[in-house]
Amino acid sequence: MTSYLDASLPTRSEHLWRYTPWSRVHPTKVDELPAVGELVIESDDVEIKAISKKGIEHGQDIARIFLDNVIGNTHVLTPENKINHVHVKAGGHAVAAHIHIESKQPSSVVFHLTGEAEWVGLWLTGSIHPNSQLSVGLINELSSESVLVRTDNWRIERDGEFELATLSLGGQRIKSDIRTILSGSNSTHNQFIAVHGHGTRHDDHHIEIHHKQPHTNSKLTVNAACDDRSHSVGTGALTIDDDAQHTDAGQIFRNLLLSESARAEAIPELEVMANEVAAAHGAASAPIDAMQMHYLMSRGLSKEEATSMLVEGFLVDSFVEVRSDSVREAMQTRLTVHLECQLIG
Amino acid sequence: MTQDAQEAVGDYRYGFHDPESSTIRFDKGLSEQVVRDISELKNEPEWMTEIRVKAYNHFVEREMPTWGNCDSLEGINFENITYFLRSSDKTEKDWDDVPEDIKRTFDRLGIPDAEQKWLGGVTAQYESEAVYHSIREDLEEQGVIFLDMDTGLKEYPELVKKYFGTVIPHSDNKFSALNTAVWSGGSFIYVPKGIHVEMPVQAYFRINAKNMGQFERTLIIADEGSSLHYVEGCTAPTYSTDSLHSAVVELIAMEGAKIRYSTVQNWSANVYNLVTKRGVAHKNATVEWVDGNIGSKLTMKYPSVLLKGEGAHAEIISVAYAGTGQHQDAGAKVHHLAPNTTSNILSKSISKGGGRSSYRGMLQVTPKANGCRSKVVCDALMLDEESRSDTYPTMEIGNSTADLEHEASVSKVSGDQLFYLMSRGHSEEEAMGLIVNGFFEPFTRELPMEYAVELNRLLELEMEGSIG
Repeated sequence: MTSYLDASLPTRSEHLWRYTPWSRVHPTKVDELPAVGELVIESDDVEIKAISKKGIEHGQDIARIFLDNVIGNTHVLTPENKINHVHVKAGGHAVAAHIHIESKQPSSVVFHLTGEAEWVGLWLTGSIHPNSQLSVGLINELSSESVLVRTDNWRIERDGEFELATLSLGGQRIKSDIRTILSGSNSTHNQFIAVHGHGTRHDDHHIEIHHKQPHTNSKLTVNAACDDRSHSVGTGALTIDDDAQHTDAGQIFRNLLLSESARAEAIPELEVMANEVAAAHGAASAPIDAMQMHYLMSRGLSKEEATSMLVEGFLVDSFVEVRSDSVREAMQTRLTVHLECQLIG
Repeated sequence: MTQDAQEAVGDYRYGFHDPESSTIRFDKGLSEQVVRDISELKNEPEWMTEIRVKAYNHFVEREMPTWGNCDSLEGINFENITYFLRSSDKTEKDWDDVPEDIKRTFDRLGIPDAEQKWLGGVTAQYESEAVYHSIREDLEEQGVIFLDMDTGLKEYPELVKKYFGTVIPHSDNKFSALNTAVWSGGSFIYVPKGIHVEMPVQAYFRINAKNMGQFERTLIIADEGSSLHYVEGCTAPTYSTDSLHSAVVELIAMEGAKIRYSTVQNWSANVYNLVTKRGVAHKNATVEWVDGNIGSKLTMKYPSVLLKGEGAHAEIISVAYAGTGQHQDAGAKVHHLAPNTTSNILSKSISKGGGRSSYRGMLQVTPKANGCRSKVVCDALMLDEESRSDTYPTMEIGNSTADLEHEASVSKVSGDQLFYLMSRGHSEEEAMGLIVNGFFEPFTRELPMEYAVELNRLLELEMEGSIG
């Protein structure tokens, strides 16, 4: 295991840390390795085994090295039911956990992340075995003061299907680094992210999707609605290896800016080394369509209600292609409740 | 040409070179003294010498850039480059006075043909300084200044001093610092208020001496309500050791002015082409970059526009062709700094024979820039399994009223299109060539005719042997 204290710290010139420097999401000072407690992980639907953490591949990424140093156990889930709800509760000063999913048969897992902890570290890993299908949803409803560092590493084997939906609503400062490798031929990955920026929320999602084998497919949709003085960052790195012929991959980043002080960054990167591929990405940023507002307000809705409805439509749209009904419904329900509280009060 | 040289040249069409005929050539390597000597030799004013020295010190201290394919820059040995070389004692005014061997080079490049009545004038940079300069009389009568940069500094020092380095300061990046320290040649153009230069003005640049750095400096000012189309073309002989081309181009479009800067570059496959190009567009002004990159070992070029005045507009069209061993790291940057500014970026690239083409872009909207609109489109075509295509766009949006779009796609040549053309009697190679030319057509239609023809010919040449 690489010692965090010996690791070199990233500079802002590094793409990954350009908009959210590591020093801003470290729980204390960057040259310290503080004591970190454990997140509480509970579920009525699936057995969670806590085992002593084995070495996890972290590359040279500082966030993963840090988490590897402060986390003691791995919580292993082997879902067998169609739908499994897992509650991840964050209390105290700084807490973290490593959760690993072994997917051997079609199943869905929805994580509900809540709590008041000042700093939360969450490392999700998973293996989608050949011919298996896994759908994962993560709903972040941390308190408005929390800092979240999330790192994901997913691997999809031959003929495996994996979809990952993220609803990011809570926390003050969020840095998510989600990496997926399509390591088996004919594997598929769909990822959906909805971000609601409010207050001074800073939400940074970095998504890497790596196609290593032929006949692999991926799709990424990121919708961010930014209000008040919030700041959303979306960076995508889509890599198609030279062996990954007949790949079909796409990424789309959409930003809806709701206030003058809101900011958004979109950086959808594409590296293609195979020629028999269809690869595309897009990014768009715009204010709320005045015509749509006019239409809704002319039918008696207040400005706040009309805005809420349009924001909800924009963010709900992120999840319309989620194939797992239970994951999609969980996401959409929490989003609706959140927006009613936030925008209408 | 020796056998070794011939081998190095290969089948590169413009890969010829004339024996060097330089009269003044500095030793390789760079020091403050070299910088002062260049300035003294050119008899420059004291303020320019000081700018050069300041830039040199910044160059020494500054780290390599982090934007772009920075790992490849490690191959540059700054101590193995000649920073100044004068190939002719004085700037010639008449084509007949140009030395024969130099003229022969230009003949092969087609410069005399290019200097036809529909072109505004020619400044041909041969090695480090202009050897030939002409300008049509009607332009002179209109008060248009079109000089090589060295002459511009001598004849219009106040004008140069006012604008030099205002768009790209020496501290911008390591290579702009290097250029500011050792610049030589380039064009200086001033278009007075309300003057529209109807014909494109043109300059050719070449690298001729082995390991010869080319550090031209171009400054174009279009005063209020004026317009200009400037065309720059490059071809270079092939050598077996690496050459460095590091130019700086500054464009200033005052209120209501329009500048279009068109480039077709065809550097040989051993040249590092590291260019800083930036324009400023004031109120209701337009800056357009039309940029074609073929050849070079590594090109890092991101034409930029600062939209400083309300209603300003930027248009950037670029194409890149990356062949074997080449990396075209090109793109565009637009900074929307004022309200109601608009921009369009179209990038097209082709990778073949293991070549790598990258689009690297930046689109920024600052908080005060209300009502901005921008559209970015990147298309990439991959011609074989070994090649690579990347897209690295960045969008930084600090204003909620901005309306921005970016889209990119990577694909191969359509089998249907090939089949259609081949069923009408074209060979596969011809069909491929037609498709590639069609792919670049949005770019070539923006070029003056002779450039479009030359580009199509170059592409045909590059496409040779691409099948089978």
